[in-house]
Amino acid sequence: MLIQDIMHHPVVTIQATAPVHEAFAQMHEHTIRHLPVVDAKDTLVGIVTDRDIRYATSALTDKPVARNDAVHTVMSKPPITAGPRDPVEDAARTLRQERIGALPVVEGDALVGIITGTDLLDAVLRLTGLEKPGSRLAVALPDEPGQLAALTARVADEGLDIHSVLSYYEPSEGDKPASHLNVILRIDTMNVRPLAAALREEGFQVRWPLDKPTGT
Amino acid sequence: MSTPPLLFDDAYLSYFFGPEHPFSPVRQRMLCSLLEALPLTAEFTAPPAATRQDVCTVHDAAFVDAVARCSTGDLPANVRDFGLNTADVPTFDDMDAAARALCGGTLHGARLIAQGTADRVLQLGGGLHHAHRRKASGFCVYNDLSMAIRALRDEGMRVAYIDIDVHHGDGVQHIHETDPGVLTLSLHESGRYLFPGTGHVHEIGKGAGEGSTLNIPLEPFTEDDSYLETFERVVPFAIERYAPDVLVVQCGADAHFSDPLADLLLTTHAYDAMFTQLLDLAEAHTEGRALFTLGGGYQPDATVRIWTLLAHHVLEAERPTDLPADWLDRWSDEGEAALTPTLHDEPRTFDIERRDSIEAQNRQVSKRALERIAPLWY
Repeated sequence: MLIQDIMHHPVVTIQATAPVHEAFAQMHEHTIRHLPVVDAKDTLVGIVTDRDIRYATSALTDKPVARNDAVHTVMSKPPITAGPRDPVEDAARTLRQERIGALPVVEGDALVGIITGTDLLDAVLRLTGLEKPGSRLAVALPDEPGQLAALTARVADEGLDIHSVLSYYEPSEGDKPASHLNVILRIDTMNVRPLAAALREEGFQVRWPLDKPTGT
Repeated sequence: MSTPPLLFDDAYLSYFFGPEHPFSPVRQRMLCSLLEALPLTAEFTAPPAATRQDVCTVHDAAFVDAVARCSTGDLPANVRDFGLNTADVPTFDDMDAAARALCGGTLHGARLIAQGTADRVLQLGGGLHHAHRRKASGFCVYNDLSMAIRALRDEGMRVAYIDIDVHHGDGVQHIHETDPGVLTLSLHESGRYLFPGTGHVHEIGKGAGEGSTLNIPLEPFTEDDSYLETFERVVPFAIERYAPDVLVVQCGADAHFSDPLADLLLTTHAYDAMFTQLLDLAEAHTEGRALFTLGGGYQPDATVRIWTLLAHHVLEAERPTDLPADWLDRWSDEGEAALTPTLHDEPRTFDIERRDSIEAQNRQVSKRALERIAPLWY
């Protein structure tokens, strides 16, 4: 499961030069706690949280900022970010290590999404960990009885051991294909392609490994 | 410098899991016959096999006992707990002796370097980087690389281990992850997609060894340019900062585009550039001391040409354009399909829709890997 699968986008952002009160209003309007801060070119330069603003403006601090002071005076920088194709567990680790609540997701220079601790809790419900060395075999199974049994039986026929089975349901949506179960097996072999090819031949919808481009 | 020794013994060929298994000794038979057919001044040395004691510098005695029992067909009840008698590591007669023969070569190379007898050594076998302390894995029974690294460490040398096999060098990493005197640097296809599943940027070593593990997981379908860009960004910097006394390089050839087990798309030209750089780095930072081993590589045609290139680099021999016709005929007759008649691949282009995002991700990953480790190096 990748960050792009669970991140929020498009992202609500705030200009670095905007006044602090505007950031506060944005958070209220969208009921969010984290605002990525961008410069005039829309490049990510920092992140500001509701707590940053409350601390910075509190009458209890030594030099409270004023409501018209610029956002960049209260933001955290540089922002700690994630990539859209990073696995969600990487994001979880970063949030824990850095003791922060959200990660802007960037691809190259572009801000493409945001992921928060709450999103990750949702993801955990769909995902469990992997421990032993193995290869990944991803298959989309029709949402019908016996499909997973047929798949695992086929793996057993090859004399291969399954280390783990992760699965998540992908509902039919709009013009997408029918509902199916995405199954990701971790298999005890370095050489998973012959099995993948055989499964494809037998009509299984193998999502990984893919055929390799041969080039010209 | 005297001619760098090429280490090989016929006993290496007995490391054989059966005709259907991808880790085939036919690759070494093709390689040695090609090196002999080419006008190379090469000195082949037959090294002694590693002893049980040598093996136990890296592996648990219980594991070594299990391998020894499997060698006589007397499989212990818990054999699979040791990763043995599995699809990837089936047992065979005398597997202990065969694995020790391969390890002996790599270890011999390390000893030649530690003694100052040789600077540069090419071991025409080994590279069994998936073998763990008490577990065989991924075609690897004993970890020859770690035995060699231990031998170099015993002589007080700082070791930089560079792994360009397409799979993460998990065994070597885990065996040395607490030793600050061993840098393990592995470039591989991301574990999200490929065996063994590890080798993420956040794996940076443990305890005293924190900061001496570096992993660069690359996207599937990475091509020459992006791979080399990443290699050039990370490897010279790491070696320069780490200031090792010797390089140990695992030269798996399975990142090649034709390899059936993995998803990277390198051509022989990328390997050519890497071998040049690795030798230059050894000259610049380790007084030329470098031990090269083979590794994965499951398309014999490409694998043999890549390792032939490696031998030419190590020997500083002029690289031929064409391969000898006799050699091609012989191996075609033995059933090797579609052998490439030239040392290098023809220029090749791939139709990759996501190329830009693959390249961007690889850049991002190498940047993150260095960011994680840099604070520990200054």
